[in-house]
Amino acid sequence: MHRILFTVLAQFAVVTAALAHHSPVMFDQSQPRTLTGTVREFQWTNPHSYIQLVVKNDQGQDEEWNVEMAAPTYLYNLGWRPGTLKSGDEVILTIAPLKKGGNGGLLLKATTADGKPIGRTPAAQGATL
Amino acid sequence: MMRGAAFSAALALCACTQQAPPTDPRVEQFARLPNWSGIWLADGLEPGVDGFSVSRPPALVVQAPGIPWNESAMARLQAELATNPELQVKPAAGWGYPLMMDGAPPLQFVITPEETLIFNTYRDLRHIYTDGREHPAEGDLWPTTWGDSVGHWDGDTLVIDTVAVREPNKYFGISAWLSDQAHYTERLRMVAPDRIEGEMTVVDPATLSRDWVVKLNYKRADGFDRLIHDAYDNDRTGFDGDFYTIKPATDAEPPAAP
Repeated sequence: MHRILFTVLAQFAVVTAALAHHSPVMFDQSQPRTLTGTVREFQWTNPHSYIQLVVKNDQGQDEEWNVEMAAPTYLYNLGWRPGTLKSGDEVILTIAPLKKGGNGGLLLKATTADGKPIGRTPAAQGATL
Repeated sequence: MMRGAAFSAALALCACTQQAPPTDPRVEQFARLPNWSGIWLADGLEPGVDGFSVSRPPALVVQAPGIPWNESAMARLQAELATNPELQVKPAAGWGYPLMMDGAPPLQFVITPEETLIFNTYRDLRHIYTDGREHPAEGDLWPTTWGDSVGHWDGDTLVIDTVAVREPNKYFGISAWLSDQAHYTERLRMVAPDRIEGEMTVVDPATLSRDWVVKLNYKRADGFDRLIHDAYDNDRTGFDGDFYTIKPATDAEPPAAP
């Protein structure tokens, strides 16, 4: 019985948990990526907010990225508001990309083009919901 | 002279009446109750900008360490892991009970003599009846996502008894896989102006080998000045058969032809 318990918990230990409204296992937290680009649209929406970011690819072409964020209720707590980002703003985003690939990911950190943090970061973010 | 004395006496009677107005029993009932107004966050579960990163693992999810599962529950977990190793779950519209009591959404407690309301920004709502009633009779009770709760005040501690909670993971798959027969007891008390502490005890022989005690700690939220509720009007989570993905923005231009 104890061996079974250990086996199950060991598997759980590598599983990232989930949050309403879905699980974060769709994102690769081990391969963060930095995007520098221009905001096309900031979607302050439920169940997630999104930044539609236009980024130059290696060939110099514009690509649009879908960057998912927390729901407005959590962003509000961190000092974000619907007008925090506007179309045309230059930002630097650190994301966990989609495991599936493609131009999408989960926002981990946002700064202005000159490196100033956007919003507040809660203390001691060492675990996952 | 007599008329002057009578006037003075009448004036004194009037003043006396004004100094001691009749007390409304309802006001007295409220005055005896604790004041937990404000907005509260489960301590350690304040999400970052990603909506997932927090300071500690939540206690009431299926993969939380220390849950005293019995053998049949363990077998069920192993079977699930065999086919769903990442424990992906379908999106949920809220947290349900008991997960809402140790979740990320901010909570509010509204205390009245007859009941205490507990709710969050996902509109998970509990009615804790404190008017002396008991749970409905067995034939009048059926499992629901938030269960049936009655309570009482033990001094300044709110004691809550909850039954008839539908298997929590049926609403939100990350919840602990407890049965419909689980019995929940909570004790909550404000220990400081900015802190509420307590614990939840879960008794569920169908899934647990012994009583499961979970600490519940809340801190006053400083980033909120109100609870904001909104519908899901932009659900862009897609599923391709293997992974959840992000659907393109509906107003995005189609990709350029190669």
